[in-house]
Amino acid sequence: MTSLMIATRPAAAPAPTLGAALLRTLRSEFTKLRSVRSTYWIMFGLVVASAAWCVAYCLGTVHQWPHMSAQDRSGFDATQNSILGLALLGQLVIVVFGALMITSEYSTGMVRTSLTVMPRRGTLYAAKAAVFAAVSLVVAFVASFGTFFLGRVLLSSTHVTMSLSQPGVLRSLIITALFVEACGLVAFGIGALVRNTAAALTLAFGFLVLLPQLVRTLPVFLHNDLTRWVPGGDAINSMTATIGGQIPHTFSAWGELAVFAGYAAIVLLLGAVQFARRDA
Amino acid sequence: MIEARGLVKRYGSTAAVNDLSFTIRPGLVTGFLGPNGAGKTTTMRLILGLDYPSAGTVTVNGKPYAQLPDPMHEVGALLDAGAVHGGRTARNHLLGLAQTNGIGPRRVDEVLGLVGLTDVARKRSRGFSLGMRQRLGIAGALVGGPQILMFDEPVNGLDPEGILWIRNLMRSLAAEGRTVLVSSHLMSEMEYTADHLLVIGRGRLIADCGMAEFIARGSGQAVRVRTPQPDALAQAVAAAGGTLASVGDDGQLEVCGLTEDQVSDLAFTQGVRLYHLAQTRASLEHAFMELTADSVEYHAELPAAK
Repeated sequence: MTSLMIATRPAAAPAPTLGAALLRTLRSEFTKLRSVRSTYWIMFGLVVASAAWCVAYCLGTVHQWPHMSAQDRSGFDATQNSILGLALLGQLVIVVFGALMITSEYSTGMVRTSLTVMPRRGTLYAAKAAVFAAVSLVVAFVASFGTFFLGRVLLSSTHVTMSLSQPGVLRSLIITALFVEACGLVAFGIGALVRNTAAALTLAFGFLVLLPQLVRTLPVFLHNDLTRWVPGGDAINSMTATIGGQIPHTFSAWGELAVFAGYAAIVLLLGAVQFARRDA
Repeated sequence: MIEARGLVKRYGSTAAVNDLSFTIRPGLVTGFLGPNGAGKTTTMRLILGLDYPSAGTVTVNGKPYAQLPDPMHEVGALLDAGAVHGGRTARNHLLGLAQTNGIGPRRVDEVLGLVGLTDVARKRSRGFSLGMRQRLGIAGALVGGPQILMFDEPVNGLDPEGILWIRNLMRSLAAEGRTVLVSSHLMSEMEYTADHLLVIGRGRLIADCGMAEFIARGSGQAVRVRTPQPDALAQAVAAAGGTLASVGDDGQLEVCGLTEDQVSDLAFTQGVRLYHLAQTRASLEHAFMELTADSVEYHAELPAAK
């Protein structure tokens, strides 16, 4: 039995370069991600939740349309209505995806096995984050463009024009997908910080959903100063709107996204430091 | 070759590992023994770089573990067979590990065959028995064909067939000149498997020597007896300053610290009937209990032998 083991022992290759090691770890992390069922359920859930919102809103609008004033009709943001579900519900789903990506390693104990075969922690963390980012980005873009076109079909009876060449539409689709992506990365970083699924989800939801609500309770002058720095909330409106003026006291859509991406980068970095420093 | 120098790991004020220095040499099965909580698993985690030492160093083939270029080719480790994602198939689990070290699916299938898991390779490991999970973990350790192997309590919870399989695997790995470090608290098992012993208690090194030497360090000799009145004999032996332990499942008891003649006299004066009385080499279990008596974390009353 064991002689077979010797005969087939893979030749010890020369030490891999940093790039080669990262590439191998990326391949490994992709194998791990695609080989558990929950990955597919979560991606399916994200698309379905976004689409369900789109259907509910658009059908409601179609129903209301004959009773709406000309002013209401001209102020109706068809793009935002179609894709807002991705920003609001998709945000919740991707948080679960991002957190589980790392906390499931801790809940199963798999992280110790992973670190035994790839002990360079920075490489493992980077590969994990990159695989998650790539896969979830594809899903987020599918959902943002998918719901836009779904909305266009559903709203056809209203004869509202919906086209990618309209001002702000493409921007809105891209920013919404990137916003959702950033939510996932925040959850990933929090997962690495707390190493526990329930704690990571609670903190991520608190940060993304509860914090903006709390800021609203502040006195107006404080709220107006702070709101552009707060993740989610009003920011989502700025990011997704394609018609009408910019909401006061916020940055432009790209600016709001940049602020949010900054938060994601900070949390990811803190997670990396914890992942590298603490005992596994 | 694994070398530890002055290894210390503290959790708060307690030291799980306290100033450990040892060298694990190739071509031998080194049994890593200690009572529960002695620091065996912590030491193995320190070797693998999973935990960082509070002081001291440990190297594998002269380097800290994290600096090994392709660790699977040098070290195969199984610390916890349950540390897998149950939703993944056996093959995908192994493939995910192997790919980090540039090992492809062909070798993965080969090793699955080696450990006898080919038939369930595409089944989720959630439904695996403990024995199958143990085999999967061992497959993970063998994939890279490493020269150093580490197993933490590999026979825990296995059936006799599984135990025999592990025992033979360790022996043949060492016979091929590999370094094998295997921890256990099952002395009878180690007696069959290990050539060399590394014994720790409360995080400190108690012994680093050959099996025969370790047993000789205890009382060395023992008296095997079989009796229908074990309780009465236990009391008499204790009163006379000896120790008594049960060995094996066939009701045999082992007395240390007393000669054959003394045990016979004791039995006669106490009216204890003996069916069997023989001088023998003390078992590893007995030597271990004598030498680690001060370092057991939680003492329980020795239950009366049945």
